[in-house]
Amino acid sequence: MSIIELNHLNKTFDYYTKTPGIKGSLKNLFHRETLKKEAVKDVSFAVEEGEILGLLGPNGAGKTTTLKMLSGILFPTSGHAVVNGYIPWERKNEFKRTFSIVMGQKNQLWWDLPASDSFYLNKCIYEIPDADYRRCIDELSGLLDVRDLMDVQVRRLSLGERMKMEIMAALIHRPRIIFLDEPTIGLDIVSQRKIREFLKYYNEQTKTTIILTSHYMRDVEELCRRCVIINQGSVVYNGELADINRLFGNKKLLSIKMSRPAAREDLERYGRLREYAPNAATLEIEHDKIADYSHKLIEQFAVVDFTVTDIPLEEGIEIFYRKEQQVSLVTP
Amino acid sequence: MNKYKCTFLLGLEESLEYRVNFALSLISTFFPIVIQTFLWTRIYNSPDAVIDNGYTYPQIILYSLLAGMVSKLVSTGFEYEVNLDIKEGGLNKYLIRPVSYLRYRLSAFLGKKVPAAGILCAAIAAAIIVAVTALSMSLTLSRVVLFAAALCLALLLNFIIFYCISMAGFWLTEIEKLYGTISIVLVVLSGGVFPLDIFGSLAARISVILPFSYTTQFPVNIVNGKLSMTEILTGMLVQAAWITALFILARILWNKGIRRYISAGG
Repeated sequence: MSIIELNHLNKTFDYYTKTPGIKGSLKNLFHRETLKKEAVKDVSFAVEEGEILGLLGPNGAGKTTTLKMLSGILFPTSGHAVVNGYIPWERKNEFKRTFSIVMGQKNQLWWDLPASDSFYLNKCIYEIPDADYRRCIDELSGLLDVRDLMDVQVRRLSLGERMKMEIMAALIHRPRIIFLDEPTIGLDIVSQRKIREFLKYYNEQTKTTIILTSHYMRDVEELCRRCVIINQGSVVYNGELADINRLFGNKKLLSIKMSRPAAREDLERYGRLREYAPNAATLEIEHDKIADYSHKLIEQFAVVDFTVTDIPLEEGIEIFYRKEQQVSLVTP
Repeated sequence: MNKYKCTFLLGLEESLEYRVNFALSLISTFFPIVIQTFLWTRIYNSPDAVIDNGYTYPQIILYSLLAGMVSKLVSTGFEYEVNLDIKEGGLNKYLIRPVSYLRYRLSAFLGKKVPAAGILCAAIAAAIIVAVTALSMSLTLSRVVLFAAALCLALLLNFIIFYCISMAGFWLTEIEKLYGTISIVLVVLSGGVFPLDIFGSLAARISVILPFSYTTQFPVNIVNGKLSMTEILTGMLVQAAWITALFILARILWNKGIRRYISAGG
């Protein structure tokens, strides 16, 4: 049984445009043409209990709108969703106790007070017993390494520190489901890694179901096995992360460095040449020919360094981001 | 601890974070009172003035003093935060938690009020004591008690008036620019500057129907001796009736507004 299910979910926003300048403003004063934007179109997918699902898509694709509907912040225009047995936008208190949402671009803590005060408020709101609360704070602050920052005014914390506090605040009531909307946005690589490691550990320990959106492929690669890609409001991919690069066939990248320059034409015989400098090259080579071709390359050229890598995930995802509806045909 | 009690305490804590701001806002309360006192003194002392507004000189001075402080005591400020919550999506954090936004705002409002209320109540008490001793005003203990009770209702009433106004943020995105104007108009309508009956009997009759005068003029006139016991008790019933009606209105506005909420940003 899936813990989260979306069926043909739609969300349309009304908006209007204004041409630049005072003339446009005056025109809008008398007549505004209402336009409709279909932010989410016929989105259906399911998430299993304990899974970390990556929800990917370019800016404005509808990821955040989808998460807002799943957490009951927004009413859908049409369609159904069930989260942990509840219809989110009915906003039942029992439902609210079972999930959390963290938005990288939104602050949920009391800005002028230390994070510990916001944690305490959450403890009261969710009616957590004292002992559980103390244990939870102790454990989370240790894992996230923020013990000595909890009494500092939130507005004085760095972005990375604040994000860790946001995550802590979201976990105090031990939700079964967490929606993470770009939790690592704007963070330095150390903070990103720390948060990633924490989420991985937390998910393994507690089997909490997570939907994660992020534009950092490292987050997605390290945390999610499966992902849903949406573009212009519609689902264009729903499957294993590892399968995305099947779009490119079964290819790998082979990079070599040479002590003597090699001719472009000589290298191109082995596969598509992606990068070329007289002393270095990267070739796209079929998986099953790697062994054979590498021998040949080493024999033919003065190879001094040699690496085989997968085609970066970004490239497969980028194709889904750029193309429109027709891509959904390859969805497994 | 109860969640609303906790919110109340956090509001209190927050208001103590910014000491200078707190001190300045109190000073700004007394400044207009001083101006009005001078103004009324001039008017009552001018030889050819015909004063026919139903207030004696001590009454009008006490009125100005108390009305200034009472309107500060009941004044809000959370409407800007509500507007920002609606406009910039801050409402999300309340929608996803098992907490009522109205009760949350009320608890935070009352909590933030405590330090200012403490000082203002002391000042009001001092003003009353001076009036009784120096101006030989007669005042019974029962009136003081009724005044205190009416003040509590006034605080609640002004909260819910502004809460209802702030719900307009669901329909008008830029409402906060109007708040300055609205609150000035409402301070006048509530009798926070002059007693409304000096504008004539029509103004007085209208003000009895509207809820605004019950936030300032009504409690002040309890100590001032302008109201009979019957009028006081009726007034308190009207306060309670307005509070109930506006709480219901607030609920309706919220339920309608929240469907329009777009949770912008992020």
